[in-house]
Amino acid sequence: MSILEYNGGCVVAMAGKECVAIAADRRLGIQLQTLACDANRVFRMHDKLFLGLTGLMTDITSLHNSFDFKLNMYSMREGRLMSPQTFSSLVASTLYEKRFGPYFSEPVIAGLNKDNTPFLCAMDLLGAAAYADDFVVSGTCAESLFGTCETFYRPDLGPDDLFETISQAMLSALDRDCISGWGVTVHIITPEGVTAKSLKARMD
Amino acid sequence: MERGGFSFDNCVRNAMLESAGYQPPKARKTGTTICGVIFEGGVVLGADTRATSGNVVFEKNCEKIHYIAPNIYCCGAGTAADTENTTGLIASQLELHRLSTGRESRVITSLTMLKQMLFKYQGHVSAALVLGGVDLKGPHLYTVYPHGSSDSLPYVTMGSGSLAAMAVFEANYKDNLTEEEAKLLVKQAISAGIFNDLGSGGNVNLCVIKKGKTEVIKGYAQENPRKYRRPAGYSFPTGTTSVLESKFQRPVSEIAVVTEVVSESVSMET
Amino acid sequence: MELGFLDRPHGAGGVRVTGAALVDELGYSLGCDRMHPTGAPVLTAPPGDAPASFLTEAFRGQDDHALKFLHGTTTLAFVFQGGVVVAVDSRASMGQYIGSGSVRKIIEINPYLLGTMAGGAADCSFWERDLGRRCRLYELRNKERISVAAASKLLANTVYGYKGMGLSMGTMITGWDKTGPNLFYVDNDGTRLKGHKFSVGSGSTYAYGVLDQGYHWDLTVEDALELGRRSIFHATHRDAASGGFINVYHVKEDGWVNISHEDSGMTKYYEYKAQSAAVDSTAMES
Repeated sequence: MSILEYNGGCVVAMAGKECVAIAADRRLGIQLQTLACDANRVFRMHDKLFLGLTGLMTDITSLHNSFDFKLNMYSMREGRLMSPQTFSSLVASTLYEKRFGPYFSEPVIAGLNKDNTPFLCAMDLLGAAAYADDFVVSGTCAESLFGTCETFYRPDLGPDDLFETISQAMLSALDRDCISGWGVTVHIITPEGVTAKSLKARMD
Repeated sequence: MERGGFSFDNCVRNAMLESAGYQPPKARKTGTTICGVIFEGGVVLGADTRATSGNVVFEKNCEKIHYIAPNIYCCGAGTAADTENTTGLIASQLELHRLSTGRESRVITSLTMLKQMLFKYQGHVSAALVLGGVDLKGPHLYTVYPHGSSDSLPYVTMGSGSLAAMAVFEANYKDNLTEEEAKLLVKQAISAGIFNDLGSGGNVNLCVIKKGKTEVIKGYAQENPRKYRRPAGYSFPTGTTSVLESKFQRPVSEIAVVTEVVSESVSMET
Repeated sequence: MELGFLDRPHGAGGVRVTGAALVDELGYSLGCDRMHPTGAPVLTAPPGDAPASFLTEAFRGQDDHALKFLHGTTTLAFVFQGGVVVAVDSRASMGQYIGSGSVRKIIEINPYLLGTMAGGAADCSFWERDLGRRCRLYELRNKERISVAAASKLLANTVYGYKGMGLSMGTMITGWDKTGPNLFYVDNDGTRLKGHKFSVGSGSTYAYGVLDQGYHWDLTVEDALELGRRSIFHATHRDAASGGFINVYHVKEDGWVNISHEDSGMTKYYEYKAQSAAVDSTAMES
């Protein structure tokens, strides 16, 4: 088994019209044993920028702390918020710094640019960024998520439709993965604010 | 505080995990077809657009032709993170070099920097590159191997689809190609990789570099358009998903405006 | 039809070869071309001196799930004053991938016998189907139903013959015979144990936790069924490889009854959650 699958978990993000959504499951396990159903793997970096991390939970925590620190330093030094593009470069270089002894985590970045166009990016554990204008996936059921997103996704959805689409894509994919699930959170990011929803998901 | 360079902090832990039976995860690779050819007065570089992670096509339309300088581009095959960062590092060093000297970068300079870096890491940075550009000495085309060796040839291929692409070159290459002939030849070579190598796929991207003019053509040939999409799409009426809890938060910047107050009496005296 | 074989006790010699296919005494095809002296069909083992060690060598280095298809499972059965309760989940996993969420892991061998499925799905269904056939022959020969002990021993002896060749099954055989309710555990090592409380599969530890805590011989039928259901439910919640539906059967004197088929992760979870929330709020009030 790969160490990326030790704790389980997955993240998906999707772009809409002037909005993005990011969904993650809530399971924290040790291999097949479920320890908790209230794990967080999606983090608010600022009003229009969210970071999702899958993989080994200890590294997710370390990376989250490190990015919070770096983002605070940046906003104090520069007196402005970091753009999603800059943040993805920061994440990529932080991961590539550990090229020969990596963190076991694959990030997903979802946010809104200054002009409120959606920004999506996924990376591998070495920080090879892949930018997308439709959806990005990461985690133990990435393959299933690719399948559901490829069929369900439609461009230019509004926040409400985007929520339904990303939720159904996530819930369907979770039904095929043993080590993800046990609850889902969805964040819908719009210029007006962020809606966080907790879904009724399978608990087995 | 930050000196740059690689950090080996996690190596001991990761080695411990590996010895405990957890295989190291696979990094994303660009199982790739990349190639280049020299024509009268320039070079054409070509690449497919597939990025894979194990057996999964992780990205169907990624960019493998990396910017080095306005007159130099570089196709990358191997570990995605390595090709991205190696070319990015050399690109920024060359930018500084140009600002310092005020001269156009030379292809041989970028080649030397790339191969010295790759040699230094003894093949552990797995980047296989096709480097092409035009400088005051004319058009140049090189391949760089992960261990730091290089070739200079009129037509080159790299990556897992290099054999398919080279077959096309060997059959159809001739000296003194025109620009259009060169573009067509590169397109055919990349297509051969896309169709005959499982690691390669997607579209054909080209980059044409001539004296004073560089053109990157994305999707020069769309070899794998999506075959079917349900015309109506899948729409889920609002309320399809059952929600246990919903919270809305306005932007924090609207709720609290933080301004920096610099007190007169506290001056910087430390 | 010639029915003389019914008078011949244990007539293993009654196999006729018609054309190429092997048929039993009643002329039904056995689906294989040879037969074991015990009356069980024979799977073709690799030719050679030691097929078991050959198979071990041949399958070494392959992915674990090549031979362990249904290892993620929770099944349980227990005997109490009102008979036997059998409860199982319905998930079939291949590694971390869920192959199916609606597998029927309780195998109805005949109206009086049940078997459960854990380990290899194909191994369990094949051999328990075959067990049903042999139990029927026993009935025809002896003019009485086979005991659970005898039936489970037929199965145990068969799998023992293939020991080390890669069969994978952890099963419980249960039913009601002349001696009353009976429960046996049989696995691919050839182990056969009589008992009154078993749980098998990756989620069995979780199920045992609930089962041991709530089990009592004098349980009412209703409470016993709910205990089985609860035990499987908690196992599906904690064990990633168990899930789907909870199937519950009750074995009574006049045969088994299919009691319930309920969604564990969705319906049952939120039902139990609402119940415990109601209990909490009454506790707060008092």
